[in-house]
Amino acid sequence: MDQQPQPQAPPQQAPAPQGQAPVPPGAGIEPVQTAAPLTHEITHGPSFAMLRVDLQPGQKVVAEAGAMVARHNNVEMEVKMNAGSRAGFFAKVKAFFIAMIRKIVGGETFFVNHFTSPQGPGSVWVAPTLSGTVAHRRMQGETITLSTGAYLASSGDFEMKMKFGGFKSLLAKEGAFFIQITGTGDLWFNSYGGVHAVDINGPFMVDNGHLVGFEGNVTFSIKSAGGGMMGFMASGEGLVVQFEGQGRVYLQSRNVSSLVGWLTPLLP
Amino acid sequence: MSQIEIGYKPAQAMARVILQNGEQFRAESGAMVGMSTNVNMETGSTGGMMSGLKRMFGGESFFQNTFTAQGGPGEVLLAHSLSGDIVSLPMSPNGFFIQSSSYIGGDPWVNIETKVGGFKSFFAGEGVFVLKATAQQEGQVLVGAFGGIQELQCDGNMVIDTGHLVAWDTTLEYTVGKSGSGWIASFLSGEGLVCHFTGQGRIWIQTRNPQEFGSMVGRMLPPREN
Repeated sequence: MDQQPQPQAPPQQAPAPQGQAPVPPGAGIEPVQTAAPLTHEITHGPSFAMLRVDLQPGQKVVAEAGAMVARHNNVEMEVKMNAGSRAGFFAKVKAFFIAMIRKIVGGETFFVNHFTSPQGPGSVWVAPTLSGTVAHRRMQGETITLSTGAYLASSGDFEMKMKFGGFKSLLAKEGAFFIQITGTGDLWFNSYGGVHAVDINGPFMVDNGHLVGFEGNVTFSIKSAGGGMMGFMASGEGLVVQFEGQGRVYLQSRNVSSLVGWLTPLLP
Repeated sequence: MSQIEIGYKPAQAMARVILQNGEQFRAESGAMVGMSTNVNMETGSTGGMMSGLKRMFGGESFFQNTFTAQGGPGEVLLAHSLSGDIVSLPMSPNGFFIQSSSYIGGDPWVNIETKVGGFKSFFAGEGVFVLKATAQQEGQVLVGAFGGIQELQCDGNMVIDTGHLVAWDTTLEYTVGKSGSGWIASFLSGEGLVCHFTGQGRIWIQTRNPQEFGSMVGRMLPPREN
């Protein structure tokens, strides 16, 4: 396999600065709420990646609930519901219901922790639950859609929306909800296994459990791989996501449902 | 002091302990992968009955194995149960606290005591018992992690999720408590219990949380029939 493409802007868009490259002043981009560029480091990849973010007073990083590994004591943590700052009342109510359902049913909670360090510099370390990588994406106003388990952390001016994957997706264990993220700043997402980016131009099909996210000018529909109810049961592929358009799709090389499916018959 | 080589780092680490004739190494029962035929394995409850029982409550096994090379040099291969890294920590005068499930083995003169981690940590599901490793002379302990191992320097204050702890210097004071400002916030934050450290010292953390992984996969499994 050729080398894994780094997550970056889809080709049809202007190239975005990569990695920790600071945003050049006067680049025509609205300054992020952070005064200085946020320094971060992803270590222990590719199998057990962990993210460290260094905060200065006035900077903030938002992370998935439960993802914190460690922090300096002067880093303050505040739990919040993951509705965008500009979200209206109705959107907040909706987000709250989804959050509560997911908290009870299990899976991603959609509560997030806000970390700030008002008393001087401090660091926070976060890591996902499953083995795998952490990918960094410098966002410049684009929109990226992630499977709910894929969101790890973000820092900047983002609008997050819950997207319902449709009733079919409820049949599968995952993919019932997506998170649509639009804005400017740093975004980190995680995968179970490695992240594989595929630039698509036309139709492309991904197993539901292997989907991390997608961006660009794409539309998707959730289908059963074998066609119809019978195919859903028999093919062993569960549900697939069918993409159309031009953009980038992120896949993960492992699938939690497969792990569970392998373990289940071995249980006493 | 036996020579230790650690291979297959960082994701699937295995330790190779090279023993000279007559040299000994002690390890957690179940940690052995393989050994030379001239290595004698003796199973015992080190430190007596009570220590064995305390270890058992600490999530460790009652017995520990002592390996002795007889009639020439030999080697023992040791591994951890979960995927991840292994490091050998050289003993410092003050010793270490080790999360009980992270302990793999050590030199036989390294004294391993089980300490009750405090009442609050009972709810953490882990760290109810921590092991205190001390030695009067140079020595080493092997610790294993779920994921990578990261050494952090604590200068003053740090907060660590209990599920990510591997080991720390005994020079550090620690208390187990809730992560947020209130119990509801702590529950919603998903962080469970955290360890507050104060003082100067090193802390080794693992980049994955075994409990969190277990409960994530566990709730997708069918219920146990009994």
